[in-house]
Amino acid sequence: MNLTDDELVARSIGGDAESFNELIMRWERPIYALAYRVIGREEDARDVCQDTFLRAFRALPGFKGEAKFSSWLYRIALNLCRDWIRRQRRAPVVQMPEGIEPTELAAERGPVESIEELVGRRQLSAVVEEAMSVLPEEQRTAIILKEYHGMTFQEIADMQGCPLSTVKTRLYQGLTVLRRHLEKNGVALNKVEEVASSKVAGHITPRLVKR
Amino acid sequence: MMSETYTCGDHGALVSYLYDECTPGERRAIAAHLVICGACTGELIALGATREQLASWMPPDAQLGFRISPENSKSNVLRPARWWRQPMPAWAQAAAAIVIFATGTMLGALRGVMQPADGQGPATGRSNTTAAATTSSAAPITRADLVALEQRLRSEVSQTRATSQNVSASPADVRILERVRVMIDESEQRQRRELALRSAELVRDFDAQRNVDLARIERTLGQMDGTTGVEVAQQRQMLNYLMRVSQRGQ
Repeated sequence: MNLTDDELVARSIGGDAESFNELIMRWERPIYALAYRVIGREEDARDVCQDTFLRAFRALPGFKGEAKFSSWLYRIALNLCRDWIRRQRRAPVVQMPEGIEPTELAAERGPVESIEELVGRRQLSAVVEEAMSVLPEEQRTAIILKEYHGMTFQEIADMQGCPLSTVKTRLYQGLTVLRRHLEKNGVALNKVEEVASSKVAGHITPRLVKR
Repeated sequence: MMSETYTCGDHGALVSYLYDECTPGERRAIAAHLVICGACTGELIALGATREQLASWMPPDAQLGFRISPENSKSNVLRPARWWRQPMPAWAQAAAAIVIFATGTMLGALRGVMQPADGQGPATGRSNTTAAATTSSAAPITRADLVALEQRLRSEVSQTRATSQNVSASPADVRILERVRVMIDESEQRQRRELALRSAELVRDFDAQRNVDLARIERTLGQMDGTTGVEVAQQRQMLNYLMRVSQRGQ
């Protein structure tokens, strides 16, 4: 039986810990991905993920269901990420870079993906990660919530506690900075040139640029 | 709320169009503008291409599997939070470094104080060995020392021999030794037989091969004899012919 988040939340509030474990199973990956992309450290992202669920469990009796359970979780996770970033700013610690293991590469490689393609993808991923790390926190978070978690402008605005127009501005500015950074690092944004050169009036629709 | 007319350079509206979060009227207005404005079109395409690159950024695969344990509601998640992973402030790191350095220095000083008066108890094993070697190489060796050493070695060797002779084997050991000896004898006999057999085969093969070779040589010699006989006869005929011709001429 596939229960909705709301049903599982209701059961959890009633004392059914297994229902909450079901919610954890559903949401731990997205929360971990959000935390990793915001703070950029695997181990710390795991800790943030764990703390998010711990806090959510303890605060569950106070959850009134005004927002979606997932939005509520995201908000908790983002607050924890913000705390982490604040601590980092106060007491910066030199972190060892997390390298790429050949065994990880081999395990990650898909059945039709050559090792060269995989290495290329990992390199591109590293460049994107680096480019994202130079963005101001608000822009980075807005892009992460939009691009990787598919939130609407309104949801991001609620999450970030800012007007809708600010969210759009953050997205625009963030994407622009990213584009420059990627181009500077040799990432060829081929489609820009290809599509721009073959541009025919009236053929540009959101579908061309939407993932 | 965005109006249904689009002003060139309205980045917010462009972002709405990019993420397809605008009303049909707004979309139409922007699309109509894009037809005539290369700058906005280029901007939109560039933003879209950047978004596509973002798709390549994936977080590393992590082992998660958190669970709430109902038994202990105070610390519910099984995987405990690791306090030592929290970033340590710079002043705390500096204090820790100072404490470690001071402790190390104090220990070193204490060891120096506790060193024996004869000077043969230095700080580390490595320097101990070096010092001992230096001491032994510096001390003069007399003949009496060498004689004493020789005598000591001799007595130790003789003791070792006596000990090995006095060791009495148990009956089980004797039986095992006997069996081993028998097995060795049997093995030797087997090897001898094997060697004799191989030698006989070798001699036989050698004789057979020699006979074949002799027969071949005889046959070859016979052929050579035959050839030689034919040639002698031909020469003889030629000689007779020459003699007859010469006699006719006379």
